[in-house]
Amino acid sequence: MARPKLIKERVPTPERPVEERVKSFVEVNLGYDFASAVKEAERCIQCPPEYAPCIKGCPVHINIPGFLKALRENADNPDEAVKNALRVIWNDNTLPAVTGRVCPQEDQCEAPCVMGKVGDPINIGKLERFVADYAREKGIDEELLCEFKESCTGTGGSVAVVGAGPAGLTCALELAKMGYKVTIFEALHEAGGVLMYGIPEFRLPKDILKTELEKLEKLGVEVKTNYIVGKTVTIEELLQEYDAVFIGTGAGTPKLLNIPGILLDRIYSANEFLTRVNLMKAYKFPEYDTPIAIGKKTIVIGAGNTAMDAARSALRLGSEVTIAYRRGREDMTARIEEIHHAEEEGVKFEFFLTPVEFIGDENGKIKAVKFEKMRPLEERDKRGKRKIVGTGEYVTLEADTVIIAIGLEPNRILVEASGFKANPDGTLIVDENLMTSIPGVFAGGDAIRGEATVILAMGDGKKAAKAIDAYIKQKKANA
Amino acid sequence: MYRITAKEELDVRDFFMEVEAPHVARAWKPGQFVVLLIHKKGERIPMSVYYADRETGRLGMFIRRHGKTTFDLWDNFDVGDSLYAVAGPLGMPIEVKHYGNVVFVSDAVCGQAENYATLRAMKEAGNYTISIQTFEDRAHSYPEKFLAKPVADEYYLTTEDGSRGIKGHYLDVLRELIEKDKVDIVFGGGKLGSLKKLAELTREYGIPTIVTVRQIMVDGTGMCGSCRILYDGEIKFACRDGPMFDAHKVDWDDVIRRDGRFVREQEIAKKHYLESKGVV
Repeated sequence: MARPKLIKERVPTPERPVEERVKSFVEVNLGYDFASAVKEAERCIQCPPEYAPCIKGCPVHINIPGFLKALRENADNPDEAVKNALRVIWNDNTLPAVTGRVCPQEDQCEAPCVMGKVGDPINIGKLERFVADYAREKGIDEELLCEFKESCTGTGGSVAVVGAGPAGLTCALELAKMGYKVTIFEALHEAGGVLMYGIPEFRLPKDILKTELEKLEKLGVEVKTNYIVGKTVTIEELLQEYDAVFIGTGAGTPKLLNIPGILLDRIYSANEFLTRVNLMKAYKFPEYDTPIAIGKKTIVIGAGNTAMDAARSALRLGSEVTIAYRRGREDMTARIEEIHHAEEEGVKFEFFLTPVEFIGDENGKIKAVKFEKMRPLEERDKRGKRKIVGTGEYVTLEADTVIIAIGLEPNRILVEASGFKANPDGTLIVDENLMTSIPGVFAGGDAIRGEATVILAMGDGKKAAKAIDAYIKQKKANA
Repeated sequence: MYRITAKEELDVRDFFMEVEAPHVARAWKPGQFVVLLIHKKGERIPMSVYYADRETGRLGMFIRRHGKTTFDLWDNFDVGDSLYAVAGPLGMPIEVKHYGNVVFVSDAVCGQAENYATLRAMKEAGNYTISIQTFEDRAHSYPEKFLAKPVADEYYLTTEDGSRGIKGHYLDVLRELIEKDKVDIVFGGGKLGSLKKLAELTREYGIPTIVTVRQIMVDGTGMCGSCRILYDGEIKFACRDGPMFDAHKVDWDDVIRRDGRFVREQEIAKKHYLESKGVV
């Protein structure tokens, strides 16, 4: 058989036109249909799994060539193709509709893709999303869940998971697949964590997230919402009732700028702004009760995904938006796709500006932000970013709304209430098995990392599930 | 879902509601608050606690018909109905120990609930408890059975116009008590403007004063930063580090200003709701 010709260009995925999407919170990318998904999957040169760089680049090690192969092998039977592909994905990742949308694939699976050396890397993220979406729409995931459930044999162990975000959900699902009785304790009224309160509808529609979350119940995981572990129930109480505990509480507290004017009205942390908009649906106010006060000119400070999400949400609420970043364009940490979408939608960018003061009007409302202009140096810091220094020159930009998106740190409620060993920044200290200083209590995600991605948190959840399984088996053997 | 087990009018504006939330009731301590979400389209509102009964798993609350959510709650939720979410307890409990003569002052709904809750715990801890409750007038004052009297060794009710109890504000009664040298510590809740004046009064006499700092919150767990206040020169979150703080270290002008951040939006929501009910 002749070697197939390498197709260098990606099969594109359609996107909603800019003028349409800036008026609503509907999803921007429209995703593949089956025919185009197969075409894109056929570009994969099928590196053997033991070498495949994409698998190594994925924090949860999804068998990517395997699921692409399943897709194209049954090109004449879409349902069968998707079912097989989903089976491969679920072995490593039970939330593909989420990761297919929010993972920074360009830095992970797609970065080392061999096809990327000769042309575009395989569009792995969008293909993962396609499999998840098609399976959901056709009810294929239901069938597969039944299969999974049959393989869940009771182990007689029980685990409490604290936090229903990416780390906790993954840990819970993995443990449920192994047959443990799992209960998730969630502080908010809905599960999902940052996927629910942090990521806007236009990137991750909530209906899709909710369908992913329904898997929990179908696999027998109980979710107790409105439980604040450390307050409503203590870790000690959980340890009395469960064989082990997993902490996936994330990085829940916003970093604020320690500069004059921080208490002025309409200065939001990105967390507050996004929680109001996403979780509480303030964009539908007053149909929904939670308001958001936003003016005509918004400045977003920061350049990560959260900054992009906040900027694009503010834009959709009718504000002009400028992102101000203290470093240069190449150092922005947001996904390229999100930066690109933000630009297309009309978000302006200002680089090398560090905020030094928030200036208010006579009513205590923000009116302008004073920045110091920064200058990049040749020297780089340990993350590879160019160091910057102040120039002593200042510029003042008008703004009637400010959103601070400079990062998060772990919420200390639990650490303080339970006496965990923690780092000065509030992250929990864990051993190589992700066990904290309290025996039987494991942790992962931003609770130990400070700030990372959804997929790294999921990787931790998965790793912790294995360690918890080993721990409980050991404990029972010794008993 | 959290079932409503009692509901009763307190005065022309405030009402009492009891809700089943065993997970909260078992863990609640004085000083802590809860968050309610009445239905799926609702907002998360922080709420003071009048009592939390571990045995029955029920929480009693005093609620003011103030904005859209609380009107909705009064109008559309009866005994037997359920609230969508009750979360908590949240915030830091106050230190319940022997202080000597403990006074609790209050002049608005959240303070009135805490007046009872706090003094009850303080009395059990062996303190001499003094309660001062201020209402605007007779029409805006609570029935006898909801007052903090049963948990107070010494009790004063005042109305600003003198139509019930003593004429005046708690500040007047408190000043007299302080001058008689009867006060070791003051706790307080209610209107922010009064709390600012309270802080000024007790500072003069060097009396420790711990009060509830009401701030707009979303999640109530320290996640959003909406309730930030300037405290002793530092940023603190009312939900996580409070809600009760040393009144002498709070920047009251900022707290009072930030409390009005969403007035415009609150009015829109209320109007929208009343229109939908055909009231306006």
